[in-house]
Amino acid sequence: MEIIHSDVLVIGGGLAGLRAALAARKRGREVIVLSLVPPKRSHSAAAQGGMQASLANAARGAGDNEDVHFEDTVRGSDWGCDQEVARLFAHVAPKAVRELAAWGVPWNRVEAGARTAIVDGKPVVIEEPAAAHGLITARDFGGTRQWRTCYVADGTGHAMLYTVSDQSIAAGIPVHERREAVALIHDGERCHGAIVRDLTNGRLCAYVARATCIASGGFGRLYQVTTNAVINEGIGAAIALDTGVVPLANMEAVQFHPTAIFPAGILVTEGCRGDGGLLRDVDGHRFMPDYEPEKKELASRDVVSRRMEAHIRAGKGVAHPYGEHLWLDITLLGAAHIERKLREVKEISQYFLGIDPAKQWIPVRPAQHYSMGGIRTDAHGAARGLKGLFACGEAACWDLHGFNRLGGNSVAETVVSGMIVGEAIADFCATPAGELTVSTALIRRCFERAQAEFAGIAESRGKENAALLLREMQATMTARVGIVRHGDTLHTAVDALQGLLRRSLDLGLRSSRPGANPELTQAWRLRKMLKLALCVAWGALQRTESRGAHYREDFPRRNDADWLKRTLATWPDPELTLPALAYEALDVTRMELPPGWRGYGARDAIEHPLTTARQAEVDAIRARLAGADRHTVQDALLPFRDLLPPHLRGANARLGDPA
Amino acid sequence: MIPLLRHSARPSRPRRLTLQILRYNPATPEIAPYLQDFAIDESDGMTLFIALNEIRASQDPSLQFDFVCRAGICGSCAMLVDGRPALACRTLTRDCGPRIVLAPLPFFELIGDLSVNTGKWMRGTAERLQTWIAQTQPVDLDALEARMEPALAEAIYELDRCIECGCCIAACGTAQMREDFVGAVGLNKIARFRLDPRDTRSDADFYELIGDDNGVFGCMSLLGCHDFCPKQLPLQTQIAFLRRKMAVEGWR
Amino acid sequence: MRQYAKPTLPPLPVEPDGLAPPSARLQHQGQSQALTASRWPARLDLLQGISGLALALFLVAHMAFVASILVSEEMFYRVARFFEGEWLFGTPHPWLVSLVAAGVTGLLIVHAWLALRKFPASYRQHSAFAAHRRRLRHVDTSLWWLQVVSGFILFFLTTIHLYDMLSQPALIGPYESADRVWSGRMWPIYLALLFTAEVHGGIGLYRLALKWGWFVGDAPNRGRLRLRRVRHVFTAFFVTLGLVTLLAYADLGRNHAAHAGERYQPPPSAEPARS
Repeated sequence: MEIIHSDVLVIGGGLAGLRAALAARKRGREVIVLSLVPPKRSHSAAAQGGMQASLANAARGAGDNEDVHFEDTVRGSDWGCDQEVARLFAHVAPKAVRELAAWGVPWNRVEAGARTAIVDGKPVVIEEPAAAHGLITARDFGGTRQWRTCYVADGTGHAMLYTVSDQSIAAGIPVHERREAVALIHDGERCHGAIVRDLTNGRLCAYVARATCIASGGFGRLYQVTTNAVINEGIGAAIALDTGVVPLANMEAVQFHPTAIFPAGILVTEGCRGDGGLLRDVDGHRFMPDYEPEKKELASRDVVSRRMEAHIRAGKGVAHPYGEHLWLDITLLGAAHIERKLREVKEISQYFLGIDPAKQWIPVRPAQHYSMGGIRTDAHGAARGLKGLFACGEAACWDLHGFNRLGGNSVAETVVSGMIVGEAIADFCATPAGELTVSTALIRRCFERAQAEFAGIAESRGKENAALLLREMQATMTARVGIVRHGDTLHTAVDALQGLLRRSLDLGLRSSRPGANPELTQAWRLRKMLKLALCVAWGALQRTESRGAHYREDFPRRNDADWLKRTLATWPDPELTLPALAYEALDVTRMELPPGWRGYGARDAIEHPLTTARQAEVDAIRARLAGADRHTVQDALLPFRDLLPPHLRGANARLGDPA
Repeated sequence: MIPLLRHSARPSRPRRLTLQILRYNPATPEIAPYLQDFAIDESDGMTLFIALNEIRASQDPSLQFDFVCRAGICGSCAMLVDGRPALACRTLTRDCGPRIVLAPLPFFELIGDLSVNTGKWMRGTAERLQTWIAQTQPVDLDALEARMEPALAEAIYELDRCIECGCCIAACGTAQMREDFVGAVGLNKIARFRLDPRDTRSDADFYELIGDDNGVFGCMSLLGCHDFCPKQLPLQTQIAFLRRKMAVEGWR
Repeated sequence: MRQYAKPTLPPLPVEPDGLAPPSARLQHQGQSQALTASRWPARLDLLQGISGLALALFLVAHMAFVASILVSEEMFYRVARFFEGEWLFGTPHPWLVSLVAAGVTGLLIVHAWLALRKFPASYRQHSAFAAHRRRLRHVDTSLWWLQVVSGFILFFLTTIHLYDMLSQPALIGPYESADRVWSGRMWPIYLALLFTAEVHGGIGLYRLALKWGWFVGDAPNRGRLRLRRVRHVFTAFFVTLGLVTLLAYADLGRNHAAHAGERYQPPPSAEPARS
């Protein structure tokens, strides 16, 4: 048994994992990153539209600051997020953008002078201030009060990932590519690393580390129609679930992106609508203003997706051999704008649809896009249940996004959480608890268990076909645990998924290719994915309310009185076919922004009994501190700076600041 | 997505495609590489991503290939399609004949069948050419960012769009003959960082990295890189530009 | 509350995978260090281009001179005497032609030697490139191969011709040259030389422009198409001119075959200086 040692093991080579690795590395820790694919191929590269940070450089971003970003994020989350974390995030996001700027990301810049932009379907002349010339600019995105989304054309994630990856190469961080963590090494209390499988030859080995950080991204591939890359199978979260002691939170909170091209499901960025693109129906009618007079196409993603599905159900969809879709119209932006700022969209339209988006409308329909849920961590990224285990990025439920993530907040989260969690990991390694005390017997036990698991599947001669079961699972999830949910269909989904999980014990492999057999890999992942799917479906069935992306037709109202809480799913007994659910209440009395109306979507929430009292309290503090600077007011409402490492605590400079 | 396409009704009878795929498993070196035929019904809008997954699901589960984003942006799935490098995920079968020959990219280490280890080579190239902005002092995270001309930022992004897919290397006659050649991907990175004011290296520094026959002077201007780049990077002009700059540097 | 250690940067250890220590690599950047890389690759690359350009220009000029036979025999005679320095010294000095021939030979050797560096150097390289060329079916890749082949042939053909010029510099004249073409049985060599030289020179100039980015303009694809058209015109023009010229010499040589070896005497009026 080969054992590879390091201080820190990071599972996942996307933006979050690499940024956390860099932070720990810069503190002198020896770090190894595991990645399923070469890190620059990670799904982070697919983020197109941008990263939110309240720089307030662009004319339409004037007046923006952390407070506005915080409030947008909380409203976007439908009050499901951890407000302390949202505060950390809004505060560090400008630092992250500026750090990336210094590292080489070619952010688009403010060009002083008048320019014409499309706002609400009409050309509007925007005068960019001379003072901001050359600073990082921003575009409009859904659910935000200001233009806050910093961008690099529509290749933001690509530019960020390449920059951070190059910095990690400069720092000499080894990335062990094409290696998949298949089990955590743990004793029920402390995590000591992972058992890892080499995907090029199928060999297992053990990585032993003082701290392990899961940053393996989301689980979009539980769904049939998803914008996610094929590697987004949620295995990082699944091996945490497998420990039986680490909870996954809010797994039912799954985001559907309004504009995935139909039928392939490939993403076209929210920047299309941010830059002025419109949604149209079968009659060419722009329908969003009918539903959302305030934010129109730029309401939050959950709202827009739901409205689109409702509009299709109302018979306004465009018929297509594979189903129905709507139109995304960006022709009004002009060929020049599309060529410069929406190039990927142009290429995708050309290659996959054979159309020129400057002349033709793009067929779109919502598709699974993001998992708000994941490994439950504290504000420093430490996972619950096992010491020495951390998580960040989409794999984690740090709980920045609650029940709906705002566009542009995910790539921002990856680097911000990487910065914070990486420091926390380095801190952990410096404490006595961070010393490595693992016994070789434990490593061997975990290794042999994983070995037996693979051997069992490789040698099984059952009658089930993993590829077919996987497809059934994906079809079930898309059809019954999708945008619009209902208790009855969720019931049938849970039953079907349980049936699939049982059938997955009776697999028969059709090939016995030596080395890395893709069929074996897929068969092994199938069971993990089914368990995740059950966490999603079972959690969705239990949550009898609608919040953010979780919409129940049979319980259409947000119910703060009963459901202002986080779902925690664990899988204590591997023999069971359902997770154990527990709930963690969100503390209304500590909220800086007590629950209310989001400013878009339905306005019929059932109030939490403590909301009124907390709102009064907040109002009183604000009244008492009237005239004080906003930082003082904020600190009185929800202090958060002590949660940050000192070098991230400083106030963010902005153009308008008094000298 | 795949079954969605598969179960659909089609107006006309689909074409029967034959995919001829190069098979080789390094774990069984005694079996020489061979071409294997797979027949499959074409569906509407079918890409090689869909076709290959269909084959793996229904005919040969051991077939190895790499896809990640399946949207033409991650660069994982470059392979030789009828002899020419291309991104398989965005290659529509309707643009090919009824017989499609698929082979792994040459030059790179073969993992198996259509899967090659581009990542390892790209990392080595990044280390060799130091494709990063050096951090000589810590970034002041609280201060306003340094300004940059908007047009310059866009020009840098133009070169930053490389996805390291390896098509330029596979299309490069020089690289086929000389394995230490940095290729268009490497030269483009140097051009990108040379353009970036945040990179403080001078032409003398860049000459150290690419001023020889494994670097810019090894390029014979066959322009396969330029013509087969899936991102349409201006490699022809960038390499010529670097050649001029490095020649000036070398003449000193 | 958590206590945070101030972030520090202790020295980074050498990587287990055998990479150079990152700290060393970081130091490399941001400062010009002692120049270590040889400047010769740049110079040789430039020399290759310059020698090729010079040869191509010589080729163009050479074609213009030999084509003067199309004007008249006397015209060619005058051109030949001109290059023997008669205008300068009063009498022809054929060794000047030998000198030019020697110079061109030298240039040719330098050019060939520099170009050889890029040729496939082993069977493995040769077969790798050949397979690549067949697979890719790509114009510019195939053109390079054509250049390699034509260059290889040229080296031998030009050597024959240049040796003639070196050893018998005086025998350049309407009858002398025509006799060499016809009675000396050199026309097959010249015919082959014409095609290979014009093809090689045309492609060479085209690729030289692409290599250094000249005459390409802002749109590389359109610029390349333009250059290709220019190349076609160039090659077609010079091949046609060459064929006509060669035909003229062959015709003259055939008619002169009975008197082969007899030197051309210009009409007396044309020789005022020697009377």
